[in-house]
Amino acid sequence: MSSEPRDQETHGAGDERPIPSDAELSEMSREELVQLGGRLDGVEIVEYHDPWPVKGTRAEKRSERLVAMWFGLAGLSALAFLGFFIWWPWKYAPPTPGDGQDHFLYSLYTPLIGGTLGLSILAVGIGVILYTKRFIPHEVAVQQRHDGPSAEVDRKTAAAHLADAGSRSTIGRRKLIKRTAGFGAGTFGLAVGAYALGGLVRDPWGGPEGEKALTTTPWQHRQPGEKVFLRRHTGNFEEISLVRPEDLAAGGMETVYPFREEDRHDHEALVHAIKAGDAPVMLIRLRPDDAAHVVKREGQEDYNYGDYYAYTKICSHLGCPTSLFEQRTNRILCPCHQSQFDALQYAKPVFGPAARALAQLPITVDPETGYFIATGDFPEPVGPAYWERES
Amino acid sequence: MTTRPDPAKAGKRRFRPQRRLQRKLAGALALAMALVAAGALYAVFVPEAQEARADADPTLLREGEQIYNNTCITCHGANLEGVEDRGPSLIGIGEAAVYFQTSTGRMPMVRQEAQAPDKPPQLEPSEIDAVSAYIHEHGGGPERPEETGVDLQGDNPARGGELFRTNCTSCHHFTGRGGALSAGKYGPNLDGLDEEVIYTAMASGPQNMPKFSHRQLTEDEKKDIIAYVQSVTDGNNTPGGHPLGGYGPMPEGLIAWIVGLAGLVGVTMWIGAKR
Repeated sequence: MSSEPRDQETHGAGDERPIPSDAELSEMSREELVQLGGRLDGVEIVEYHDPWPVKGTRAEKRSERLVAMWFGLAGLSALAFLGFFIWWPWKYAPPTPGDGQDHFLYSLYTPLIGGTLGLSILAVGIGVILYTKRFIPHEVAVQQRHDGPSAEVDRKTAAAHLADAGSRSTIGRRKLIKRTAGFGAGTFGLAVGAYALGGLVRDPWGGPEGEKALTTTPWQHRQPGEKVFLRRHTGNFEEISLVRPEDLAAGGMETVYPFREEDRHDHEALVHAIKAGDAPVMLIRLRPDDAAHVVKREGQEDYNYGDYYAYTKICSHLGCPTSLFEQRTNRILCPCHQSQFDALQYAKPVFGPAARALAQLPITVDPETGYFIATGDFPEPVGPAYWERES
Repeated sequence: MTTRPDPAKAGKRRFRPQRRLQRKLAGALALAMALVAAGALYAVFVPEAQEARADADPTLLREGEQIYNNTCITCHGANLEGVEDRGPSLIGIGEAAVYFQTSTGRMPMVRQEAQAPDKPPQLEPSEIDAVSAYIHEHGGGPERPEETGVDLQGDNPARGGELFRTNCTSCHHFTGRGGALSAGKYGPNLDGLDEEVIYTAMASGPQNMPKFSHRQLTEDEKKDIIAYVQSVTDGNNTPGGHPLGGYGPMPEGLIAWIVGLAGLVGVTMWIGAKR
């Protein structure tokens, strides 16, 4: 079947009857106007099935009630949502067996408000769809469609129209405008791109620590001879709890953070010391018979204090927290990629993708106060490798 | 000039013998008081002897030794000194460790493997008391808490949560679902545990778990951690009705795709259906 005859056919479809005059239009009924509109677009309504040809049957009433029920349910459950949202006990109550009732009521809060609001919008949707299915007449309409490209005459004229608009605008010979427009729009595009991506560009050396940002940690002494204590985190940043050698049992491990006496009343500094990504240190107390087999790294022979060894918690592979310390095997496991470090051999990697040992923090006990202090920063950068790193 | 005796001097002379007596009495009294005070202070400040179990009930100890010889001796040795490649020494592990290991069924072990799993306890509670007393007698160590059950739950589960996330989450997951360790070992799931079991585990550091002494985590902090653990385990943290394993976005995403998408397809088909 060639496209040409069909094309002619569709073109001709609207011309079967001429467009009625204004006088004729005013005479036409609404039904005739609907048919005329369809015919002008090449649409013919074949069947216009009325779902309820006999009015007022019991089945029709039943359908009406069904739709009304869904809308009513939507309203009631929205009302229930408002009630639960305003009056239900939403504050946390722990599940202690004594007053478990409070916890039970609290635990229902989220499901109740979610369920009621969700049921409400679902019921509105079901009601609308049911109404459409039960009461809107199902029409069957036929519209002719044409195959292939538009007629040659349409394509030629449309192309000529566009070319004409281009040449009449005289943009072709106005080089100044063309270039400035290119400059303006192009630079604007660049600005939008910079706006979108600029926030992702960061200078790792640009912070207040300058070039030392990646090589030093908050354990770095600000002045020579400064005392940097080891503190534990009790959940309260202001509660300073320092660590003494008798605090940990053999086979114990504790995460510690730097603390300086000058920061005691500086909330910002206290929070930063605990939240800083490179600050957490695992303070490990080996069991004495294991400590007898320790192999120390060259140059780090005096970094430990007795059975106490302090290693960074930041994995040397990709910087995950390696705090899975196994006290019988003395292995430190990183949960991200299963690197394992041997706490008896300066935390050198014994399994997995990590290639460098965990950096060790030099510690000792402050003779004046009896608390642990760090005698200096880590001897090497903590965490994963970066371009400028030499080891 | 008349010489009149100085009244003050005369008085002194007159009362001297009496004053000496007074001074002696006062001295004796002060000494007595100081002794009493020192004794009282001593009684207040000197702690109970660490080996308080020295006066444990001898019959209990004998019973404990009997149970030890029947169930533990193969791996831990005749004198609790441990057996090479079988079991560690039990000297100084304390009654907390014995209670934890036996009441969760980890000990006695079925076989040597990466980690002793929990199973129904093999010893009766009275046998556990006896064998803990016997082992605690040798070297002391972490003790069982004075309270049991709900009394071991602190009143600040929020602080317990902070401490749990700092100290425990790396192995036990932040709502106690557990997780893998190296070479077949694992941090166990914390569902369905007795408060005393959690307490003694923290105090004694069973198997590869680090030991958390009372100076590192105070008893109050341990109780808050217990309150937190009990508030997120045993289905107490499933407002959606089902925890889906509690592992976060992986199973939840899978369910959302399978159940949610299938539901949407069904609804779409219903919308398009004739009736």
